[in-house]
Amino acid sequence: MSARRLRALIRRVTQEIRRDRPSLALLFVAPIVITGLVTFILRAGETPLPKVALVNELPAPMATVVGNVLTTALEGDGITVTDVPDEAAARAAVDARMDSVALVLPADLASGGTITFITLGVDPASDGAQLQRVSKAVVGAAATAAGTTVPATAHETIYGGTGADPIAPFAPAIVAFFVYFFVYVLTGVSFLRERTGGTLERLMATPVTRGEIVAGYTIGFGLFATVQVALLLAWALGTVHVPSIGPLPEFSIGLGISVAGSPLVAFLVVLLLALGAVSLGIFLSTFARTELQIIQFIPIVLAPQFLLSGVLFPVDSLPAVLQPLVRLMPLGYAVDALREVFISGSGLSVGAVQLDLAVLALIALFFAVIASLTIRRDVV
Amino acid sequence: MMNSGAAVRADGLVKRFGPVTAVDGISLELAPGRIYGLLGPNGSGKTTLIRLLTGMTHPTQGHAEVLGVRMPDRGVLARIGYMTQGDGVYPALTAGENARFFAAAYGADTGAAVNEVLALVDLGDRAKTVAGTLSGGQRRRLSLACALVHKPTVLFLDEPTVGVDPLLRVQFWTHFRALADAGTTIIVSSHVMDEADRCDELLFVRAGKVIARGTGGTLRAGARTDDLEAAFLHYAGDAEAVA
Repeated sequence: MSARRLRALIRRVTQEIRRDRPSLALLFVAPIVITGLVTFILRAGETPLPKVALVNELPAPMATVVGNVLTTALEGDGITVTDVPDEAAARAAVDARMDSVALVLPADLASGGTITFITLGVDPASDGAQLQRVSKAVVGAAATAAGTTVPATAHETIYGGTGADPIAPFAPAIVAFFVYFFVYVLTGVSFLRERTGGTLERLMATPVTRGEIVAGYTIGFGLFATVQVALLLAWALGTVHVPSIGPLPEFSIGLGISVAGSPLVAFLVVLLLALGAVSLGIFLSTFARTELQIIQFIPIVLAPQFLLSGVLFPVDSLPAVLQPLVRLMPLGYAVDALREVFISGSGLSVGAVQLDLAVLALIALFFAVIASLTIRRDVV
Repeated sequence: MMNSGAAVRADGLVKRFGPVTAVDGISLELAPGRIYGLLGPNGSGKTTLIRLLTGMTHPTQGHAEVLGVRMPDRGVLARIGYMTQGDGVYPALTAGENARFFAAAYGADTGAAVNEVLALVDLGDRAKTVAGTLSGGQRRRLSLACALVHKPTVLFLDEPTVGVDPLLRVQFWTHFRALADAGTTIIVSSHVMDEADRCDELLFVRAGKVIARGTGGTLRAGARTDDLEAAFLHYAGDAEAVA
């Protein structure tokens, strides 16, 4: 090994990176921003105060005593308590998002009965945070009122079910994120090649309009995105059992994740998200000069969406200052809609799904317009 | 100044990029059916002038007209051919697919015209070859085909013969002459002086200005030299003295 040649190589590498500002930003600024964001979310994030629908099935006079102690304990912790007549009414209140946790005190609590917590089950992270806060207050209060024994507790969900496939609550976020990621990268790199390869300049010297270019790309890539989304959903939701053939053991293809709603609605959600990623890729290619720089936008554009769109942390537990940002993120709307479809079984007639689809379509349109405006005649 | 018969016209064109003035007040009129050579060293402003004339970039001052239409104008682009300095072809598409795509983009015939133009640049037998696997010279020919496929009235060629072997260069100029004879106005930029005599008229470009204009013969005579390169230096010296 020649020290001189090695020095020359090291010098060349450092000179190149020093002059590549986006690479420097990726190297030094992006990790600081992302770790700072995660720390901020964990430190400043607050679980919104739970709203409890209380079903008190205890016999009198115990019902009044325990009910009062429990309500006082919960309200003392800032939790809103509403008395409901039976479990069905409590479930209805949670299903309608009027309450976040239904709490059922069984008639046989004193003789070892189990307290049941019921949550919606659409967003497991959000449910978990709510449940933790409620159960802490309940267990202590119930123990005080009923005697020295700490009552047993159980957790049920309206959708999904605690015994359901554990991947099901996370599947919507995983599907949405990776479709968004790959479509963005593919479009960004392709359009960058169009810019740097001289073909965009040439194309702009024809009567083709900027709108036609963006529409052409969106539809062209949209066709591949359609196939990609269909394939991914078929892989994620389907299971094909292949029987044992000769010495080969039987095996299954597909992840077989259960979906409560229509896969077609899920397909529509992810497709709209993917079309938005096409426009985003075209738009961001304006600011890139190399394919590496397209990748370098990921920590800036995709990582915050991953952190803030309910993929990892429940949206309602994020710091208040970050909440408005979530409303700008297409991934958030897609994850929300997909959870509705996958877990709640919601369809196109549900208002929340309609809203998510409308916003996703608007975001795709917005970036398409912005992208067409950035295809300037002063091309690279 | 206005000449309604001019194929290309520029009036006080200026283009600045920050502190750099790439084109510095160029006015010109180019008649139809002639070959004009923009000659000058690298960085003299030839490409920027072509981009201004084709409407690819907006002037800081002044304006350009092509076929009587003030640029930029999308409507007239269907009558303009533009061969960029780079190949500007899609490497994953075949030669035929590239030519067909640009024909469609110009709103031209995508059938027989494509085969004709590929045959014109001697790529008829390469129509199904992927552009990325063509040789450098073949890609330049394909690039020229894509600029010609819609039979333009005005053709801008930015350094069309860079990296092209001498035999192919002769073929290119034969095509250009045939097109000009058929009425096409051709503006060719080059920094190769030995190509200059193939043009009907030359414009020496230096530091964003046209420092001299005329036929090869008149420019040589004006500089009292037989060598065009020496003539360029002569006019460049004059321009510097004036500046």
